[in-house]
Amino acid sequence: MRASFAIAPVLIVLVLPAPTRAVQSASVNSDASVLAAFDQRVKAYADLRDKVDHGQAALKETRDPAKIAAAQDVLAARIRTARAGAKPGDIFSPDIQRMFHRLLQPELKGKKGAETKAAIKDEAPGAMTLKVNTRYPEKAPLSTVPPNVLASLPKLPEGLEYRFVSTHLILLDGRANLIVDLIPNAIA
Amino acid sequence: MRVGRRPNRTLMLLTVALALTTALGAQTITLPNQKNSVHFAVIGDTGSGSAQQYRIGERLAAARAVFPYDIVLMLGDNIYGGSDARDFADKFEKPYKSLLDGSVKFYASLGNHDNTNERLYKPFNMNGERYYTFKPSNGSVRFFALDSNYMDRAQLAWLDKELANSGSDWKICYFHHPIYSSGKTHGSDLRLRTQLEPLFIKYGVNVVLAGHDHFYERIKPQHGIQYFVSGAGGQLRPGDVRRSDLTEKAFDTGYHFILFEIAGDTLFFQAISDQGQTVDSGAITRLKQT
Repeated sequence: MRASFAIAPVLIVLVLPAPTRAVQSASVNSDASVLAAFDQRVKAYADLRDKVDHGQAALKETRDPAKIAAAQDVLAARIRTARAGAKPGDIFSPDIQRMFHRLLQPELKGKKGAETKAAIKDEAPGAMTLKVNTRYPEKAPLSTVPPNVLASLPKLPEGLEYRFVSTHLILLDGRANLIVDLIPNAIA
Repeated sequence: MRVGRRPNRTLMLLTVALALTTALGAQTITLPNQKNSVHFAVIGDTGSGSAQQYRIGERLAAARAVFPYDIVLMLGDNIYGGSDARDFADKFEKPYKSLLDGSVKFYASLGNHDNTNERLYKPFNMNGERYYTFKPSNGSVRFFALDSNYMDRAQLAWLDKELANSGSDWKICYFHHPIYSSGKTHGSDLRLRTQLEPLFIKYGVNVVLAGHDHFYERIKPQHGIQYFVSGAGGQLRPGDVRRSDLTEKAFDTGYHFILFEIAGDTLFFQAISDQGQTVDSGAITRLKQT
């Protein structure tokens, strides 16, 4: 049973006319390079964060919640300084945004899509101003990100999360509670 | 030495129980309270800082005086509306002070209103992780705390591995979003169910606990698994249960907590309201894996 699933895509590729194969191959290569670019950008961000994540910014287990909040604040301040010129699209370039739209589309269609949207909208955070390199509001709830959506998107380095605010996708640094970048109307 | 100290401690606990019960009104624990059984309490959606949350805290303390437990599972939304030191004090440390003073260990899972960094707050016993597992020193039971707010591939792979290697007779999973619920406001999280239920069935999970919907509901067993919704430890949505084919028992007119006792192959439970009434109770027998 498992073998037949593995073979099926191969057979489909083989029976396609030559020009279609060429287009598909180009698209796959293009996706691979866009994905590689995304991986590189998020890794660069994570490396930058790790570089400033020491001393007072280091988050450690403690009985004192004030120390957690203080470390989070220091970490956020250091990242903001290190990325002082950060702007939308620094990580989600137009190519990456297009790829994310394409990856999300199948998850938002039909019955599964309706369930997915319902889960995202469930107790979703209210209207807020989204700005790169600013704090995610402390009092706002975090959107639930359904498992099928997470499975469809590229894996992130530790501490980075995908979240939704209304129809927008944000890249959130959970450790610093900081908005790293965003895709407007990712699930519109 | 130990024998000599016992009567004093028992007398003290009974006195506390009597005092608390008198102040709060009647609260009868109907669990068997057997020697060497595993005892624990469950609360969900607690962190509002409301008077009702404090009353549930008092009820928990009164219950502990006659039904000693050292474990409290938290089903998420532990701290609503902020995460500064005052929030932790008003919404956790003060309402459960007597339990914390009595060395009760709370094991939290994260809800959608929680800051992810709550994982670093030691009294939540999360070891700095969004999801984790632990096993009490007595009894063959293992608990799995999940982060249902962000069920990524890494977490699913972790759960698969941990359930496979558990070796415990009883496997109890708990997290915030219910995969079975008759809530009008939220209800069953179907996308989450698609991912989690096959693992629960495959590895013989016995009991699943979730919050999010602000009421109590015991679901009719699904594929041999007993599901509870317990999301009214500090928030309440009166009349939010739309009784359905899933509903075995529901309570949506008051706040509550649940006590559990595992004795061998039987798990006993008792859900108690903030008024001290037993709103549900019963026993579940574990189906032995073949």
